[in-house]
Amino acid sequence: MTTEQTQGQRSAEAGADGRAVLEVTGLDVHYGPRRQRRRALHDVSLSVAPGETVGIIGETGSGKSTFARTVLGLVRASAGRIVIGGEDVGAYGSRQWRRLRRRGVVQYVFQDPLRSLDPDLTVEESLIEPLLIQGVARQEAADRARTFLARVQLSEELLDRLPGELSGGQRQRVAVARALVTEPKLVILDEPVSALDSANRVQILQILKDLRAAGVALVFISHDLGSVAGVADRIAVLYQGELVEVGAARDVITDPRHVYTRLLVGSAPTLRSASADRAERDRLRALLHA
Amino acid sequence: MTTLSAKAAPGTALCAAEPATEPATGSVGELSTAGTTAAPVLAVRGVRISDQVTDREIVHGVSFELTPGKTVGIVGESGSGKTLTCRATLGILPPHFEVSAGSIEIAGTDIATLTPQQWTALRGATISAVFQDPASYLNPSIRVGAQIAEVIRVKKGLKRREARHRAVELLQAVQLRDPELVYGQYTHELSGGMLQRVLIAVAIAADPQILIADEATTALDVTVQAEILDLLAELREQAGLALVVVSHDLAVVAQLCDEVLVMREGEVVEQGPTSDVLHRPRHEYTRLLIAEHDQYGLEKFLTPLTPQETS
Amino acid sequence: MTMVRRVLSLTSGRIAVVILTLIALLAVLGPLLAPQNPLATSDNTLAAASGSHWLGTDYLGRDTFSRLLDGSRVSVLGSLEVAVMALVVGAIPGILSVYLGRTFEWLTLRLADTLVALPFLLFAVAVIALLGNGITQAMLVTGALVSPLFYRVARAATLAVARSPYVEAALVAGASTGWIVRRHVWVKVLPPIAVALAQTIGVGFIIVSSLTFLGIGVQPPAPTWGGLLASDLGYLSYQPWAPLAPAVLIMITVWASNLLADAIRDVSGEAGRAFVNTRKARANRLGKPDPVSTGGA
Repeated sequence: MTTEQTQGQRSAEAGADGRAVLEVTGLDVHYGPRRQRRRALHDVSLSVAPGETVGIIGETGSGKSTFARTVLGLVRASAGRIVIGGEDVGAYGSRQWRRLRRRGVVQYVFQDPLRSLDPDLTVEESLIEPLLIQGVARQEAADRARTFLARVQLSEELLDRLPGELSGGQRQRVAVARALVTEPKLVILDEPVSALDSANRVQILQILKDLRAAGVALVFISHDLGSVAGVADRIAVLYQGELVEVGAARDVITDPRHVYTRLLVGSAPTLRSASADRAERDRLRALLHA
Repeated sequence: MTTLSAKAAPGTALCAAEPATEPATGSVGELSTAGTTAAPVLAVRGVRISDQVTDREIVHGVSFELTPGKTVGIVGESGSGKTLTCRATLGILPPHFEVSAGSIEIAGTDIATLTPQQWTALRGATISAVFQDPASYLNPSIRVGAQIAEVIRVKKGLKRREARHRAVELLQAVQLRDPELVYGQYTHELSGGMLQRVLIAVAIAADPQILIADEATTALDVTVQAEILDLLAELREQAGLALVVVSHDLAVVAQLCDEVLVMREGEVVEQGPTSDVLHRPRHEYTRLLIAEHDQYGLEKFLTPLTPQETS
Repeated sequence: MTMVRRVLSLTSGRIAVVILTLIALLAVLGPLLAPQNPLATSDNTLAAASGSHWLGTDYLGRDTFSRLLDGSRVSVLGSLEVAVMALVVGAIPGILSVYLGRTFEWLTLRLADTLVALPFLLFAVAVIALLGNGITQAMLVTGALVSPLFYRVARAATLAVARSPYVEAALVAGASTGWIVRRHVWVKVLPPIAVALAQTIGVGFIIVSSLTFLGIGVQPPAPTWGGLLASDLGYLSYQPWAPLAPAVLIMITVWASNLLADAIRDVSGEAGRAFVNTRKARANRLGKPDPVSTGGA
């Protein structure tokens, strides 16, 4: 078990070359009132190079959403260093955070496409909001919103619709477009396809691939290895608040080192595997819970 | 009896046109690789379901047969009619929906002829089901063990003490680590995966022949989903349970099933043995489902298996 | 403003707006329209309606019609003041309690609890003793006492949106608290507050009149609708129909306020969006043949 864990850390430093858009070192996050403080993340280190797509895999309670929220400054870290686009944000107060965010370097796409758009704002108003916050003139913002709507393959007719009048897939594409209007260097996506059906899922994943080709760095958070595998360059596996394995997507999937990763890969339903690995899964479960 | 969609693959259990008096003939043998000739415990023949208020047909003809120890999978997105088909089989269609054509036979009995009392006797004892959100099927203010014991007392007529004993056995059978402890716990003390196990324990409490799992693993984590699927596979092998597995994910169904039905907008667009559907999909929609996995899923990194390996 | 247009698209909303406009006009013009001096007494006490006294006279021989018109300004303004006061000291701290940190939240919450627990009369008398008697002081007291309702309504509505993903999305885009409140929170908080406001206007009438009855606020010779109702009730055996006029005025105003509150509730939030959608759909269907949905995903 111990050897497997150390091996799991094999390529944690891949992509860290000083120019990283995001560099997280030794991140600790706690939550809850003082008496019942619980650890959400422990000693998480990860760096994301420009134009790179990193998948973060974790199940319920693994701390994957906490990771995203901490990087975005929505949750305070109790230890560790976060560097975004060369700026150490560790000691940032709310004013400095606001200044950093207004530059539009990092954007966030939420899991729930139903609730991530204000139900009282039209698609256009939602899309131009980040630009208006930056101080872009309304007309210019509207022009840019149109461009990005086209990039997520939505028609301009949708601009004056309310989110309630769109399908789930359309809403998620609007949410992606909103994250793109400020031309960020890094987009963090929290379960962007989990609530979608196959056709919409493929469409969003294709958009993400195009984004990566355009040089935008992506952090793709999911509970499902399957949805990340197709787009990620590297995969990081979170288990109970700790990063147990980081490596190239192919390596993590074809040759997982950590017990949990092996169980995760062995558990993901695929069209290719037969149910013969049941015994193997049982063995891994016993090993993990030991 | 209605004719079937020409799109459905041949060589499967398309026995809608066969007389109801002689089930379990050639067609069943053809689909199951083991070549069993056991009588089907569940036969769904050309079932169509309509909404009586809007007078629209929602499900346009579904047929399959299920023999003990076998598994049929239904794949489709929300609104494809897969859940309605399940509910029709269980006799619990929502208000103003009805089976407008076709027939469903459970253990040789046409369900259209059943009285409410007969239905009550049948459910649980012959056919049973688990659904997506396990917490909503259990009473949060009663210990889960007591709820299982209640089912056993009602269905099997056991005394309180024997029922308790049997309930603990069942919790053991669904591989909960500490059955005695779980027996005395409330729903909020259990995780989603544990609750689904408890619900499976309730479902198999009266030794049914058929178990319908309708999106039973959808809300669960991947590793927990695999645990539940493994459990279902084991129950099928040990108790000879016949399974109907319903999911939006083709891969989940592919794990367990001998036969797959792909549904879209109320229509069965593809039907056949699992390996045929996976390796020789005929319908565009099935190809899309498979392509999604090949391009974006784990399969991208896994070597494709030859058809022989999966069977 | 879309909200106003939506309210006006409802029949009940139009009726309420028309009635409330008329009453507002009455409040503005009432004292100027009074045919006689509302304070002038005469020997002709408790007279029936006649050409010179349209609604008769009261127990001091004052013209009831003139008193009703004269009192309308102070009555309507009084209840409006109560509502505005409650809005300012209730709703605004309610929204801010979510954003201004824990100390402010704790303080305002305790304050709201205290105000609810205070006996109304004791508090009113204490404030009057401190600040002197007068209509402004009375309104201050009542406004403060109604404010916990506004505080709670505003706080609950704000809390419901404060943690929503779209607010966090705006936050991640660099929005300030002010921006978030203006652009996202205000719209969600407005409908429940509007409902509370319309209700408070109704309640305000009753409070202003009961305070008048106790000699707090408006002083006895000056007429108010509530005061007229109270004094008329004392002479019910001589003039059984006399309380009718002030009672009907109060009733209509309260009813119109509640009608408006209902209309606002109907066109806002989830229900409002559904309402707009069905209307749009109906309009589309009238325009072109109904495209039959094939269901499915």
